[in-house]
This record gives sequence, C-alpha cells and structure tokens, in this order.
Amino acid sequence: MKTSPLQKKVWPATVAKNPFEEFHSFAAQNEDLPLDRIVQDTEVVMDRIRHGYEKLLEEEAKELVWMVQYNTIIKAYEVAEKFVLEIDYTAEDIEDFCFALENRQKVPYLIPGPAGVYISALCNYAKEEEIALKLSELKTEINLLGFRLPKGRRLVIDGDTGDFTGIGLEGGELSVEGNAKNWTGAGMRSGKILIEKNIGLHTGEWMMGGEIYVGGRVRGLGNIVEGKVFERDKLIYPGKARYPNIYY
Amino acid sequence: MEGVGKNGYQKQVMEIYRFINDHLYFNRPDMEIKGGRYNSAILFSLLTALKKGKELIIGEPGLGKTTSAEFVCALIYQFPLGVIWASEVSGHPEQTEEKIVGRPDLGKLNRGEEDVVWTHFSQTPAKIVDEINRLPETKQSMILDGVDRGNWEYLNEMIINEEYCLFATANYQDGGTNTIIAPLIDRFDTMVESRYPGPNLSFLIGKSKRKDHLLRHPKYEKDLYRIFKSKMAYEKKIPKMEEVCSLFGEYVEKELGVRPLQRQDREGVRAEMEHVELDQDASAFTRMLLSEISFCERYGQKRVVEDCEEGCHYTGYLCHEVKNCASNRLPTSIKEYAQGLAWLLGDSEIDIEHVISIVPYTLAHRVQWKDGVLSLKARAKRDDPVPIFLAKEAVKAVSQRYREQGDHVKDALGIGSKIFQGEPLDPLEGDHPLYQEIKKDLSSRRME
Repeated sequence: MKTSPLQKKVWPATVAKNPFEEFHSFAAQNEDLPLDRIVQDTEVVMDRIRHGYEKLLEEEAKELVWMVQYNTIIKAYEVAEKFVLEIDYTAEDIEDFCFALENRQKVPYLIPGPAGVYISALCNYAKEEEIALKLSELKTEINLLGFRLPKGRRLVIDGDTGDFTGIGLEGGELSVEGNAKNWTGAGMRSGKILIEKNIGLHTGEWMMGGEIYVGGRVRGLGNIVEGKVFERDKLIYPGKARYPNIYY
Repeated sequence: MEGVGKNGYQKQVMEIYRFINDHLYFNRPDMEIKGGRYNSAILFSLLTALKKGKELIIGEPGLGKTTSAEFVCALIYQFPLGVIWASEVSGHPEQTEEKIVGRPDLGKLNRGEEDVVWTHFSQTPAKIVDEINRLPETKQSMILDGVDRGNWEYLNEMIINEEYCLFATANYQDGGTNTIIAPLIDRFDTMVESRYPGPNLSFLIGKSKRKDHLLRHPKYEKDLYRIFKSKMAYEKKIPKMEEVCSLFGEYVEKELGVRPLQRQDREGVRAEMEHVELDQDASAFTRMLLSEISFCERYGQKRVVEDCEEGCHYTGYLCHEVKNCASNRLPTSIKEYAQGLAWLLGDSEIDIEHVISIVPYTLAHRVQWKDGVLSLKARAKRDDPVPIFLAKEAVKAVSQRYREQGDHVKDALGIGSKIFQGEPLDPLEGDHPLYQEIKKDLSSRRME
C-alpha cells in the first residue's frame, strides 16, 4: 500500500518514567514523626491528669464553697491520691498541668485550693525525687503547694506561691524562689522550707518541727509549737525578739 | 558487590593518592570521610581524572593549583610532565583559537590545500587550562564548549576526544582577571581550593629538590610530541600514544614504585564505578537538597531575576538564601563524584555520607547567594573560602532536616511512586519544598 507523503509517522506511546520508582518498595517503619509521637504521648498523660483534677473538683463541689480547713484538705488529698496513683507521669507533666490550669479551654475551673492539693499529690507520688516547677509565668498564685512533701523529696518552685505553702510538710525540702503568702509551713512536722524572698502572716502556725528559712522579711509568725524560723540567716524563732502573731 | 574491588584498582588508585600526597603535593588533609582524612585538592583531582570530569581549582598564586592537577594527570593518564606542560593552555587576554584548538597547515595552504594542525591541548585527554579567568569570556566559552562535547572543530575539520578530563585553575579576583560567567562556571563539576599547606610544609617544599623531575622522561616526551605532530588521523594516533604512555608507566613503576593507570585500567575502573548506585537515603537527601535550591512557591521555581516575597512560608529553607536555580548538571556531578568516591572507598552503594562529602564541592561555584547571606556569613570563623564554606553550611542545614524527616520523605516518595502507577492514594503532606514538588509531579502525571 502506498503511503501519502503527508501522512505522519506515528510513534508508539511511551510510558512516562516514574521519577519515584526507586522508592516504590519503601515501607515506612513508623509513619509517625518522633515529635508527633512525643506530643501524642504527652497529650494522653495530660488528659488523664486533667481528668483526675476535674473529678476532684466534682467531689469537692459538694461542699459548695471550698473552705480551707484541715479536714477538708485531708479529704481532698485522699481523693487526689486515688487519681494520681493511677497515672504514669513525669515531673514535666506536672509543670504542663500547672500551665494548663490557666487555659480555660483545657481546664474550665481553677480553684487555687484543690489545685494546690492535687499538684502536691502529683509531686509527692512522682517518680523523680527532685521536682522543679517553673511557675513564675503563672498569673494565679496557687495555694497549698508542697502539702505533705515526704522525706527524701525536694520540690523547687520558681515563682511566687499562695497561702498554706508547705503545710503538713513530712520531712521533704521545699524551696520557693519567690514570695510565699500566709500560713506557710503551718502544721509541718519535719523538713525544711526555704523562701527566697518575703513571707506573709501566721508563718509556721502549729508547726511541730523542721525549719523555715526566709531570705527576705517575715511579716508575721504563727503560734509555733516546735521548730525553727530564720529570717535572713538570723534565728527569729525560738528567740526573744519575736512573739507569735506580731506583725512587722 | 560484584565487580567492585575484585581487580584491585582501588588499591592502585589509593597508592597514587598516597604517592602524590607523600612525595609531590604536600598539603594538610582538609576533609574527613568515614573516618579517613583526605586532601580535597588531590582527592577531587583523582576523581575528576577517573570520571572524565571538569574541575575548577582556585587558590592564591603559587599554592600548587596547576601542579596538583599535573601530577594527577601524569599518574592517571601516564603522560610525562613535559607533555602535560606542552599541552596546557595558559590563560591570558591575547590567547587565540589557533593556540587552543588548531591552526591551518601553512605548508599545505601555500599549495592551495586546506588542512589543520591540531594543538596538543585539543588532542590530549588530560587537559589543563591555567588561569582560566584571565582568558576573555569568548575563549573560556570555546574551551568549555569543546570540553562539553569532546569535539574540537577548525576549518570544517573535527577531532573527537573519546576520553578526556579538564582541570582549570583560577586565581581570586584581581585587576588582571575576568569573571567566569555563570553558564560557564556551571559546566565545572567541582570546585576545590588548593590551600596553603602551613609554614612547616611550605618550608619543606622550599627545601626539597624539584619534585617535578620525578615524572619527566625526555625520550618518551619527544616520542609523544612526534605522535602529536604527525599527520596521521587522530583515531590512529591514540593507540600509538597509549604505547608510549605504557612505556612511561612502566618506567614510573620501576623507578618510583607506583603504578600509573593504563587505558584498560581506567576503562576497568569506570566499568566498576558504573555498578555503584545511590541507596535510598542518598537519593532522597539529594532530592531534598535539589528541591531547596530550586523551589519557589510563588513563582514556580528560582530565577535569578526574581526575588522572594515578604511573608513566604519557606523562609527557613535554602530557597530563601539563594538567587539562582540549580541546573540539571548539578545532580549529574553529585552522582558521578559520589559514585567515584564510594568506589574508591570500596563501598557497594553510594550512601548519604558520600553525597554529603561531595555536595559542597559540586555546589560551591554554582550557587549565587543573596547579598544578605553573604554579608552575614562571610565574616564567620572558617577554614574554607566563602563559596565552599557557605555550601558546607547549606549541606549541614539540609542534612539536619533530613535527619529529622528522612523516613517521612522516603515515605512520601514511595507513595508518590504508587500514585504515579495508578494507586488511589493521597500524596503525603509535609513541611518541606520536596513535598510540594512531589505533588507537582503527580498532578502533571494526572493531567497526561
């Protein structure tokens, strides 16, 4: 058959070269990026910590108004202990929780009392013996931090704390790199509280032992049963110069 | 791996490296690869000679730029130094095509016949251009065009070099130099610096006898001149040249204890190198690097005439620091030299470490950095000249990113392959230009 000179030559269709061919058999060992995995794991732990706190608030909401009474605190602490013991967390998770407290989307209610009891329980049962919490960025001062801190444990807080810091201390060392408010060290049995700056009223109320060191000024001492209080390296209790509930 | 190392060529080449390092070109090692320390000028010159590449050697005057290339050519191509010197093109403004490529045969021209007398430079496989940046740009272009294709044309006649490599030296910019324009500089596969060896080695160089006499042989040099000048066809000259070169090789082996490579050795080396392929990490890393120096989200690709827009998401990547786009010659240079290095080290595959070692020297002369980057980084504490330093810093940054997301990148490429072959999957998302480039390739595939 004669072909027309104008008839175009038809080239066979070619298969486009696959530029990724050498990776065709690549099987990703783990599709997650390491950072994603860390974030995911942290989120799971944080959810459980938040859940414990919310449950504690539910229990305590029956009281309608949260009153700082020793019985109330002990009861709240027992509830907190129950939830905390079921969670596998690290010291970093405690710090993250402290910051989550101010985020209304993550934690709907921040009540400084129960929050402090819950954080204290987290600190007392953490795997780490030394825990550092950087709370200087927090707008709210949390009460009751360091509650029942046991022997052999050290809690360092960067920032100011609220009322009832280190109450019922049980031999641990609590260091506050900032100010502490009233009733610090109340009812403590043994251990050491170090406040870098100033401290409020009723310091060491009914304390049964241990030492409180204050780098700044002590605004007022409580009725101390036993123990020592130092102000700028100077022993002020027991001592002649100071009397309980004397304001300076 | 089959083919690699069984003929002992690596050992032979490493002996040449050590011989040059110990007896001819004294310098400090300046790069570390897989625990071994090497001098980049010798190592890259060896790879250039073996891979038929093109190398630009920069440095201060008198620091051994040309001599390092001459020693490598003498031992890889078995040419006595006298022949190499006679074949060199010297860069100066009055250089002409007649001195570089060929001239009319004046005797025959008087008889009304047209014939070409080819220069030694156009005939030799080991080509050296001294001070290329002192040549006017038109002459630079002529050399690089010839070397690009291996064809040398004059008066409608042509010779074809089957095997050749090019070494060009360049001083830093001064009053007597021209610039090497970007399209020309891109044709060089690598750029290395011949560095100051330090006062102690420098003193030793000054004290020692003339080393270049070791690689001279007046008889063989005259024999080779005769072959170069003879009127026989170029194709017939080559086996004759090889004969003399082999005799010179035997002489070198006997006198100096180092065995230069014969033509069949060089072909054997190249055949072995061809079997060494990039592994997945080396390939994915190279793609990641190429995407960073060619990508522009807004304008589709980097162009030297276009600048980055304010607020671009990709400011953390190299695309934000460079002006120009990577050329297609860059991946070829990376692959060729990484292949040569992997072969030399006796590895069966080109891995990411080979690529990371090679890339700064293939990238340094090709990238045009933005002024801000230059002013910021040029004064940093460093051992390398600015272009090589910046290229090393860039490679460090990309390899850090690859460490973080290498598996994800390979996964994205793997899924890309599956989509390309018609599987109903979605391309992987990720924060790197490469993911966007994969999507572009896949969308253009879908449009076909």
